[in-house]
Amino acid sequence: MSRKPAKPTWYPLDNAGVLYSAIQRDRYSAVYRFSAVMRDPVDPAALQRAVDKTMPRFPGFAVRIRRGAFWCYFEPNPNPGPFVKEDMANPCQPVRFREDNEWLIRVFYYQRRISLEVFHAISDGAGTLVFLRTLLAVYLRELGHAVPNGPGILDITQPPRREELEDAYARYAGHRTLRGRLEKTAFPNTSPAEPFYTLNVTMGLVPVDQLRKAAQAYHASVTEYLTAVLLQSLLENQAARRYRHPRPVALAIPINLRPWFPSETLRNFILTVRPCIDPTLGEYTLEEIVKQVHNYMHLHANRQEMQAKLTGNVQFTKNRFLQVIPLFLKNPVMAFSYQLVGVRPYSGTYTNPGIFRVPPEMEPHIQRMEVMLGQATRPSPHCASISYGNTMAITFAGTGVSSETERRFFTHLVKAGIHVKVESNRTR
Amino acid sequence: MSYCVNCGVELDKTAAFCPLCHTPVYNPNQPVDQTSAKPFPTERKEVAPSSKRPAAILITTVLASVAVCCGVLNQFLLTQRAWSLYVIGAAIMLWIWTVPPLLHHRKDTFRLQLLADVLAIAVYVSLIAVDLDGWDWYLHLALPIILWLGALFLFWGLTMGPRRRSTLSSMALVIGSLGVFTLGVEAFVDVYFQGSWSPGWSLIVVAVCVVLLIPLIVVRRVPSLREEVRRRFHM
Repeated sequence: MSRKPAKPTWYPLDNAGVLYSAIQRDRYSAVYRFSAVMRDPVDPAALQRAVDKTMPRFPGFAVRIRRGAFWCYFEPNPNPGPFVKEDMANPCQPVRFREDNEWLIRVFYYQRRISLEVFHAISDGAGTLVFLRTLLAVYLRELGHAVPNGPGILDITQPPRREELEDAYARYAGHRTLRGRLEKTAFPNTSPAEPFYTLNVTMGLVPVDQLRKAAQAYHASVTEYLTAVLLQSLLENQAARRYRHPRPVALAIPINLRPWFPSETLRNFILTVRPCIDPTLGEYTLEEIVKQVHNYMHLHANRQEMQAKLTGNVQFTKNRFLQVIPLFLKNPVMAFSYQLVGVRPYSGTYTNPGIFRVPPEMEPHIQRMEVMLGQATRPSPHCASISYGNTMAITFAGTGVSSETERRFFTHLVKAGIHVKVESNRTR
Repeated sequence: MSYCVNCGVELDKTAAFCPLCHTPVYNPNQPVDQTSAKPFPTERKEVAPSSKRPAAILITTVLASVAVCCGVLNQFLLTQRAWSLYVIGAAIMLWIWTVPPLLHHRKDTFRLQLLADVLAIAVYVSLIAVDLDGWDWYLHLALPIILWLGALFLFWGLTMGPRRRSTLSSMALVIGSLGVFTLGVEAFVDVYFQGSWSPGWSLIVVAVCVVLLIPLIVVRRVPSLREEVRRRFHM
């Protein structure tokens, strides 16, 4: 008996995906990049084979985005690809939904570096790292190395599981919501914009043991310490401009929700918190900033507050009135709301996905890991860090001309006795 | 290995300057390595531009169907007047305003597109003139004002488009040119109705523009004031 071919199964975007698709423009996309610097030069043919073998196991990444009448949605992408390409000087370029065979991920290689760029609507850092770890394992197997499956490396011979595609926001949305008030406008930390499309990348390579020692001196975690150093750099940036009425300096720190709400989803499942320092209250020492950040994290990054926040976001997209508004009217309103609640109250973003762990069989083949956030909606730098072995790569990326934030940040680390090696794609 | 003398960070062996403070690297013991690969690629590429063709086709189809439907309806409804000319003219004008910019890069064809936009308005108003038998007011009042408006947009495009100007300069240019535009409009109106130009209400507008312009120009030209404005308004 012949069966009809199954219709492509579509599924709706999660909360974060709705937002990232609403603020999508021809000249702006929420794109980020993870890179693995290998010990040996990359073999593009083996990498392409690895991509081809890995993609079917990750249906959440093998999608294209479609604009419906009321919402955007994902459906499996039947086009060939994604094809491995040689890397370029201007990374994290905007995704154009109908171009590049409609792929929302890109794979690049350069010398010993394998890079994966992902449109944020399809997955967050934690989900993408599972994809990248599996891709690297398959790539190494293609080169003849024996790499087992293990934690964070999915078995590509097994079919994908439903749990990996679940909308974890909807699953854990409760009834109590946190009524967010409009936060104060923060110091924007902008500088004149580079011509389209230039992304200035400055990467600092730092020994993790030295960083941990410096953080421990303040009784803080590495993330809290680096957040505090970044806040202090931003405060100094603002002070140098001698504004009459300085504004608060605040960072958006994405928090992975999986530790509180067990989920195997490879889609988005993050929320942000907003540590903030108000310079109008007086001068802060680094020790005081670290303490502020440490206390803020402990006070606000908890299960109840996160659940109330995500419930509010889910209820927003399930609002009956919002649902019947056509997409072409809804998107500008959402983009404007994003400016008010997601851009203006922040001076920048700092994300730290943490330690990248691989099975011992993979360790000798990888030198270091890197992470980079794509362009912001305005010409100011974003910061991201990831550690592998004893090296943490801290990357600033932005479309602004100035490198003041990076200079102040890394100089602080040097003054704290931490060795920093800097690499950049800046040409002037 | 070289270190930046200012920042104290280790630099890549291929770096000719510190990417943080832009201090050049002069290390007699280890000159800049110009043969090894840079840490990041140096070749720029750009992703394929998104095609606007589907949107252009959709707009063309909608406007064309509206124009054709109204043209056909006019043959059976209120046939004594060519009312469909208003709709057809509006459809043509909207098409010229929206579709060519979707298919061409605006910066490359700015002047041509502006000419087409202004001509579209002129043609639309000429259709009204045809229906109302008003060639006199069209030629002596409407057309000069439309061309004057085109000149204003051309001026804005040439002075503010390609070159980046400060917010203060841009505001001064807009306010100043609006004052001059108002003077021109009153001149055309006066000449049409009275045969000669006797400035009146436009002088009030010009006076307001001048009152706004003077502080802007002063602030723009005096560095200390400019700095004060920057500090107050977070510019």
